[in-house]
Amino acid sequence: MEFDELQKIWDSQTKEPLWVINEEALNRHILAQKSQVHHITNKSELVLTYVYIVAGFSLFGVNIVNNSANLFMYLLAGWTLATGLYSLISRIQRLKREHEFIDRSMLGELKHALSIATYQVRLSRLMRWNMLPIITFCLIGVWESGKSVWQVLGLLLLFGAAYFVSGWEHSIYKGKKRELEKLQKKLQEEVVTQ
Amino acid sequence: MSGSMSELEQNLIFNKWLAQHKALLFKVVRSYARTSMDQDDLFQEIIIQVWHSIPSFRQESSNTTWIYRIALNTAIKWVNKERKHTHTNQPLEHLQPILFESVSQIDERLTWLYEEIYKLDEIDKSLSLLLLDGFSYKEMATILGISESNVGVKINRIKKQLITKSKQQDYHGI
Repeated sequence: MEFDELQKIWDSQTKEPLWVINEEALNRHILAQKSQVHHITNKSELVLTYVYIVAGFSLFGVNIVNNSANLFMYLLAGWTLATGLYSLISRIQRLKREHEFIDRSMLGELKHALSIATYQVRLSRLMRWNMLPIITFCLIGVWESGKSVWQVLGLLLLFGAAYFVSGWEHSIYKGKKRELEKLQKKLQEEVVTQ
Repeated sequence: MSGSMSELEQNLIFNKWLAQHKALLFKVVRSYARTSMDQDDLFQEIIIQVWHSIPSFRQESSNTTWIYRIALNTAIKWVNKERKHTHTNQPLEHLQPILFESVSQIDERLTWLYEEIYKLDEIDKSLSLLLLDGFSYKEMATILGISESNVGVKINRIKKQLITKSKQQDYHGI
């Protein structure tokens, strides 16, 4: 078959559309969806900010009420709060950058998606490393306050599991970023190799 | 079109666009999604993106080009999404399928052509759809954000590939 014949086959479908749209279901769907924002980055940032800020203030509160709290428990509270504020500032900066993307071409959309993916990768990597000082402050603080070895070991196990899960989350974001990079490369490559 | 468009205006434009261009959307859906569940999911995703895009449509391009661009970009993102069928978290009454098959007689050659397009990667799928729908290299370059010469190179490769596949298929009597 030559290309003209393929074109004729393609054009034949305009006579009868393949599907009929269920208008009622479509309208319901639009009503349900139009106010929603589907953005995984948005959600993970908000959860991170909320959890760290609430945890930071709660720790400060507990330390003040409980006079036996040591320096490491205050350091832990301060570090947690600082992490929450950092993720809040990052979110504000990211939202500002969002407005810079006005290119609606496929390449423009890919670049936009890639910038979000890069941000996700950076944030998840930073949050993973950030667990180390938190774990250190927490374990020393708990040990200093005279808790048993078993309680410290239990905490260590819990933190270990959280560190493992955050690594898994980070690898998902990295995989997604790699896919987007491949697509971008694929879209642009032939100009270079020509 | 202004950014302060009323919802009524937006709905009117959407309904007009959908009536005029649903065949275009069907082509994108059929090329990027295989199962009826996926096709329904992708169609829903595309119409939501088209609806959202209406206030930012500046009439610098034709609405066909605009809708194609939105549909293809959405399809590419949808393919790369880890968790499809995101609409299944809706209430039960919202889960009715939106697309119903209407064609009584299926053209085997057209099914074959869609199958071949489906086998291409996401970028080549977009290009083959634009090519078969008669877009110029210039329009394709604008939609994809790449140079016309790059479009030309890719189109030549896709054409050759489709012709070779069709010749192989001819031996099997289609």
